[in-house]
Amino acid sequence: MPKWAMAIDLDKCTGCESCMIACKVENNVAIVDPEQAQAGRVMYWMDMMTAYESEDTQVVRRIVPKPCFHCDEPPCTVVCPVGATYRNPEGIVAQVYHRCIGCRYCMAACPYTAKVFNWYAPKWLEDSACRPNPDVSLRMSGVVEKCSFCSHRLQQIKEIADLEGRRIEDGEYVTACQENCPTDAIVFGDIEDKDSSVYKLSKSYRVKRYMDDLDVKPKVFYLSRRTTE
Amino acid sequence: MNIPERTSARADSRLEVREGMRIGAGLVIVMMGGALCILHASGCRERKVEQPIDYSHKTHVGTAGIACVDCHQSVESGIRATIPPLETCKGCHSDTPLTESPEEKKLLNYLANGGEIPWNKVYQVPDHVYFSHRRHVSRSKVTCQECHGDIASFVNAVSFQFLPVTMENCMKCHKERNVTNDCLSCHR
Ligand code: HEC
Ligand code: HEC
Ligand code: HEC
Ligand code: HEC
Ligand code: HEC
Repeated sequence: MPKWAMAIDLDKCTGCESCMIACKVENNVAIVDPEQAQAGRVMYWMDMMTAYESEDTQVVRRIVPKPCFHCDEPPCTVVCPVGATYRNPEGIVAQVYHRCIGCRYCMAACPYTAKVFNWYAPKWLEDSACRPNPDVSLRMSGVVEKCSFCSHRLQQIKEIADLEGRRIEDGEYVTACQENCPTDAIVFGDIEDKDSSVYKLSKSYRVKRYMDDLDVKPKVFYLSRRTTE
Repeated sequence: MNIPERTSARADSRLEVREGMRIGAGLVIVMMGGALCILHASGCRERKVEQPIDYSHKTHVGTAGIACVDCHQSVESGIRATIPPLETCKGCHSDTPLTESPEEKKLLNYLANGGEIPWNKVYQVPDHVYFSHRRHVSRSKVTCQECHGDIASFVNAVSFQFLPVTMENCMKCHKERNVTNDCLSCHR
């Protein structure tokens, strides 16, 4: 059974926000009115957070991408009263929108604030170039959603691999953020596979796990030569 | 300022209880309707779908001997089976009618006037479910009959769901055949 994980190389990341936009478009994440965004209801699955990096005596403020960390011991799933969010056998922390009752316990439990709540039913323009992606469902108002590691892509890739009777190769299942990263700072793959690039990166001396002291075992990790906080 | 509001809230709350009872009664009725629906589960699902032409699968699969894939072309290679376009019918049906059937006249009218036949969908999964024909038909050799019934003997157009498209029906077969029932394999 594969286990999907992501590495984000902060030495390569320029903070250009391409991943954020790619994610938003790929996953039909609702676009929120400016006033609502001001009220903190802005929706991103891949958000940008502020980090402080230090090297010698220099301190630099920068923005770094922050998806859902798909923890191996997720705090969000244990508080869900209806089983709408759970960790699947391949390590993806899933959100079943139609099961979700919108209580937002999981949002409160998540230390990374990776989950967002739909305050309004998203409106999609019928005849525009910006049509929603048909491979991803549209969420209704009143449910919580978050990064799914683009699991809709996995459904199709798994099917092709099964039909051809082989395993999913390293680099075959790519997420939208990874695909659109101009500097290839995001690496995604099966961390159980000892030959995969994400496994090799996970053994690097540069690995930094965000909020490692919480022991939730996040499967997204950062790589940086500098001290990052 | 707050105090008078609170006292009046008491009276309001009694009103709310009565209102609540009325809503409750309404709910019971709705629920009874729901229960009836469950009792007649097939009845509620088997809403009949009208088709513009009373197309007979029996004539074409049985008599004319056409295979399912010849018309539903991507059933083995894609996610959707697809309904054949008029172009496919043109191969056999042209100016001279093959039968005296009024249904074929309708078809010839469509052929003469151009534009597709507005077939209505019978089987449909909602947008939050991933269902792939290729997976079921090509790899595991699940036959069309198991989900769609013996289509080859249908004299009339397909108008009801043989195996209703419900989560229960999907999961039941998956359980029988040891296929995963992980939510994320179907939901997206
Ligand atoms: C000559 C072309 C042709 C062949 C061969 C054919 N079909 Fe069809 N099929 C159609 C057309 C046209 C429709 C749309 C009209 C209708 O719903 O009855 C249809 C509709 C259907 C539907 C209903 C789809 C929906 O949801 O609306 C199913 C299921 C189906 N076919 C299964 C089969 C199976 C199984 C076979 C092989 C045994 C088969 N078909 C062979 C032309 C064909
Ligand atoms: C491979 C050739 C072939 C194709 C393709 C074909 N048909 Fe036919 N169709 C026939 C034949 C043969 C008959 C006459 C059968 C008979 O003699 O009773 C027929 C009869 C019919 C009839 C008359 C009523 C009946 O069922 O007896 C209708 C309506 C019809 N076809 C609709 C269609 C439609 C719609 C399509 C396109 C989806 C289509 N056909 C494609 C061969 C074909
Ligand atoms: C495991 C159950 C199952 C099997 C086996 C199956 N189907 Fe389907 N079929 C479905 C479901 C569910 C839908 C609705 C799909 C959707 O909405 O995307 C459907 C839809 C269809 C449609 C409507 C057009 C479309 O693509 O939505 C046709 C035609 C069809 N099937 C033909 C076939 C044929 C031909 C076979 C056999 C080769 C077959 N099916 C085997 C479950 C099945
Ligand atoms: C008649 C039995 C049957 C029914 C009904 C059925 N399936 Fe399946 N399904 C199978 C089998 C057998 C497989 C294994 C396919 C394989 O070997 O790759 C499967 C596999 C799948 C998979 C891939 C699972 C994986 O390994 O990741 C999905 C997704 C799926 N089915 C969705 C559905 C949905 C949605 C429905 C209901 C609309 C449905 N199925 C109804 C028999 C069925
Ligand atoms: C084999 C495929 C399959 C699996 C596995 C599956 N579902 Fe479903 N689910 C469906 C289908 C198909 C529907 C649509 C049924 C319908 O339209 O009536 C559905 C509908 C639902 C709905 C109802 C949505 C509505 O609009 O009413 C909920 C809630 C739901 N699923 C939750 C789950 C949860 C939670 C799991 C995991 C425990 C799960 N599903 C696993 C196929 C599946």
